[in-house]
Amino acid sequence: MANIDLNEMLDKVRNSQWALADIDWDKPGADRISAEQWPKLKDFMSDLMWIEHVGARGFAALSKNAEDPTLKEIYAYFHAEEQRHANAEMALMRRWGMLDGDDLPQPNVNLRLTIEWLDRYSDDMPLEVLGSVIPMLEIALDGALLKFLLEEVDDPLCHEVFEKINADEARHLGVDFHVMEMLGKGRMHQRIIKTVGTVANPKLILGVLAYAPLLNRMRDNIVAMGLKEERLYEAMGKYERIGGRTDEGRRNPWFQIISRHGKMVVDRNHIYHKPVDALVKASNYIPTRLLGPVPTWVEKLTWRPTA
Amino acid sequence: MAVTDTETPIHRVLIVGAGFSGLGTALRLQQEGIDDIVILERASEIGGTWRDNTYPGAACDIPSNLYSFSFAQNPAWSRSYAGSNEIMEYIHWLADAYGLRRYIRFNQRVQGLSYDSEEGIWTATTEQGETVRARQAVMAQGPLSNPSYPNIPGLNDFQGRVVHSADWDHDYDFNGKRVAVIGTGASGVQIVPELAKQASKLRVFQRTPCWIMPRLDFRKPEWQKTLFNKVPSAQAAIRKGLFLAHESMATGIIWDTPVNNALERLARAHIRHQVKDRWLRRQVTPEFKLGCKRVLMSSDYYPALQQDNCELITWPIVAINENGIRTAEGIEHQFDCLVFATGFSVPKTGTPFPVYGENGRELGSEWEKGAQAYKSINVAGYPNLFMIFGPNSGPGHNSALVYIEAQIEYIVKSVTTLRSLGVKAMDVREDVQKRHNQHLQKRLARTTWNSGCNSWYLTEDGFNATMYPGFATQYARQMKQVRLEDYRLVSSTGQ
Ligand SMILES: Cc1cc2nc3c(=O)[nH]c(=O)nc-3n(C[C@H](O)[C@H](O)[C@H](O)COP(=O)(O)OP(=O)(O)OC[C@H]3O[C@@H](n4cnc5c(N)ncnc54)[C@H](O)[C@@H]3O)c2cc1C
Ligand SMILES: [Fe+2]
Repeated sequence: MANIDLNEMLDKVRNSQWALADIDWDKPGADRISAEQWPKLKDFMSDLMWIEHVGARGFAALSKNAEDPTLKEIYAYFHAEEQRHANAEMALMRRWGMLDGDDLPQPNVNLRLTIEWLDRYSDDMPLEVLGSVIPMLEIALDGALLKFLLEEVDDPLCHEVFEKINADEARHLGVDFHVMEMLGKGRMHQRIIKTVGTVANPKLILGVLAYAPLLNRMRDNIVAMGLKEERLYEAMGKYERIGGRTDEGRRNPWFQIISRHGKMVVDRNHIYHKPVDALVKASNYIPTRLLGPVPTWVEKLTWRPTA
Repeated sequence: MAVTDTETPIHRVLIVGAGFSGLGTALRLQQEGIDDIVILERASEIGGTWRDNTYPGAACDIPSNLYSFSFAQNPAWSRSYAGSNEIMEYIHWLADAYGLRRYIRFNQRVQGLSYDSEEGIWTATTEQGETVRARQAVMAQGPLSNPSYPNIPGLNDFQGRVVHSADWDHDYDFNGKRVAVIGTGASGVQIVPELAKQASKLRVFQRTPCWIMPRLDFRKPEWQKTLFNKVPSAQAAIRKGLFLAHESMATGIIWDTPVNNALERLARAHIRHQVKDRWLRRQVTPEFKLGCKRVLMSSDYYPALQQDNCELITWPIVAINENGIRTAEGIEHQFDCLVFATGFSVPKTGTPFPVYGENGRELGSEWEKGAQAYKSINVAGYPNLFMIFGPNSGPGHNSALVYIEAQIEYIVKSVTTLRSLGVKAMDVREDVQKRHNQHLQKRLARTTWNSGCNSWYLTEDGFNATMYPGFATQYARQMKQVRLEDYRLVSSTGQ
């Protein structure tokens, strides 16, 4: 996965597009979801689909902030591709009878807060921050969630869809880690000063307040579904291994921050969880209607292959 | 290349194209007593741009009194900004009032120009088999006359109707149809509000948004008044400002900060006032500095996008198939009609048809790495050949006619000088042309660097590939004088 040529990557991305209409959503096999699995799978898919969508918005912000025109365009595609994943996952949910008409699955309150934050502040975040956080989310998705899903679900169409999603995701990770290394170049003290400045940025603090409880809630949901926590450890380990495989990668302060944070997240006994779990609990008391309507970019999600 | 030909008469001047440039050249030559002119026009009608661009909403975004020839003022413009109809009327009036039609041979598509050094004569051949010979040749085939389609896979597979903004299908009824508009440049922004009134579903596919200023029409809506109240003196300043902004982007430094920032603030205020939704605002706000690309003017584009039947789509386009357009978010958007508002193909290199100069040299291959000329109008090795909108003559936001006029006057002066000196040919000196271009490139490099745009090159949305890196007034000034010392003059006896 070493250094990649962005122009080649862009070509590859352009040539690897697929559409919901390529898939026969009525293929036999939908009945292979057991009654016992169904409710858990419904929650799982809903979370998964929202994470994809949140990731999509993150890529939109990256695209806005990338200076290199090729990278900018790659991110514009990734934005769309994550949206495609969310759309395809909704189509699967619909196949399994998990959607209520045209309504979107309800996002949990932590997702709502994250969406709100993304809507308001993500475009103002320096590339370093999102460029280092998103790989973490993607690797967790890729390494833990998707594998788990495929082990649990028997529906062959599900495998077909996630094969496509995974292929996209592999390209995303390639670019993610390439960029993380790029971000580690330059002078150490400048990076540190910039990082300290950003850490103190109230917009980022708000973001952390949205992101940290979201991760904890997701972890709880997933573990409740039977995912081994080791899977998450592995995913975090992978982030650290790939992100830190070169000097540049390790020198990216955001890589350091996020991989340390990741370690805390997977360590159940870490003191970190006391306040964060409290936040999760507290957020249960936030009436979602106070948050107002979701931003309109959320409304563009659809399970319909054609429009 | 030239075949000696004794049959065909030798005219004084041959002109390719009967748009503003070709007609204006003929008109001014005629005023100077030169009337042995032939104009070859591929279409069956005059007017060029304004004959072809008849899409609903087509209009000029330069005030009419600026968008006309100073030497042939229109008796009356009905509106501050003329629609394509009215501009066509003006062009017809030009042709009729000055008796220009007699020069024109319609339905003659020029497919090659070649110069006979011995005789000092240009020969044009047309696809239809006509040959025209003349002492001077003027290439006025238009900077934006060949519609371009984007390079999208599957373009030919679409089963519904396909329409290009520059080749409008007036027989097609858009009422109740599902329509896609591809491209949000000058034409797209004008078409969308009109189609939004008719189509049952309109999807606008945008790659890069442009800066859009409110259009100052006689009747001003309420919100516009509010806007101008909030940004004091905006209205009075806007035209002057736009002019300066473009002038300044061209030179890069002088006016950059104050003028551009003020205009950009105004354009942002325009978006804020007209677009309620934060995401849509984000989608329509350009990321480049105002002035890098042509600034558009419209007061009804943003509202149209927000109509219930309308939606802006910014997902990358993946492919076209028999039903419509697939975008990267995995959805197939289905349509009855695709409207391409994707501008024109502008040859950044090469020529629109083969042009052979002295000793058979061919311009297209000389220009392979990029077009070069002297003052955009002459090229060394191609004596007596004049180009309108040659390399680096693109206007930014000033009336194209200001540039055209400057070029026409240069041609008229050259032709009359040749006549009065009894000189057979004038050929710009290689070294002079080279120096001219070194100077230009230096200025271009500076502007590109300073303006913060990626390039001056044409985008999918059309318009100026090769701009003149300076003030319009500067351009006009350099064209004022024909410096004979810059040319190699060949007398009738061959020296
Ligand atoms: C949609 C649109 C909007 C515009 N709006 C503005 C504006 O607001 N302000 C502004 O200043 N400018 C505007 N322009 C630029 C406009 O092109 C010029 O202002 C002007 O009309 C150019 O005139 P022309 O005679 O040089 O070229 P054209 O009008 O293009 O005329 C060229 C003629 O040559 C003919 N021709 C081409 N090739 C051949 C051939 N091989 N053989 C024979 N004949 C040939 C064509 O058929 C055409 O009639 C606009 C252009 C477009 C397309
Ligand atoms: Fe994804």
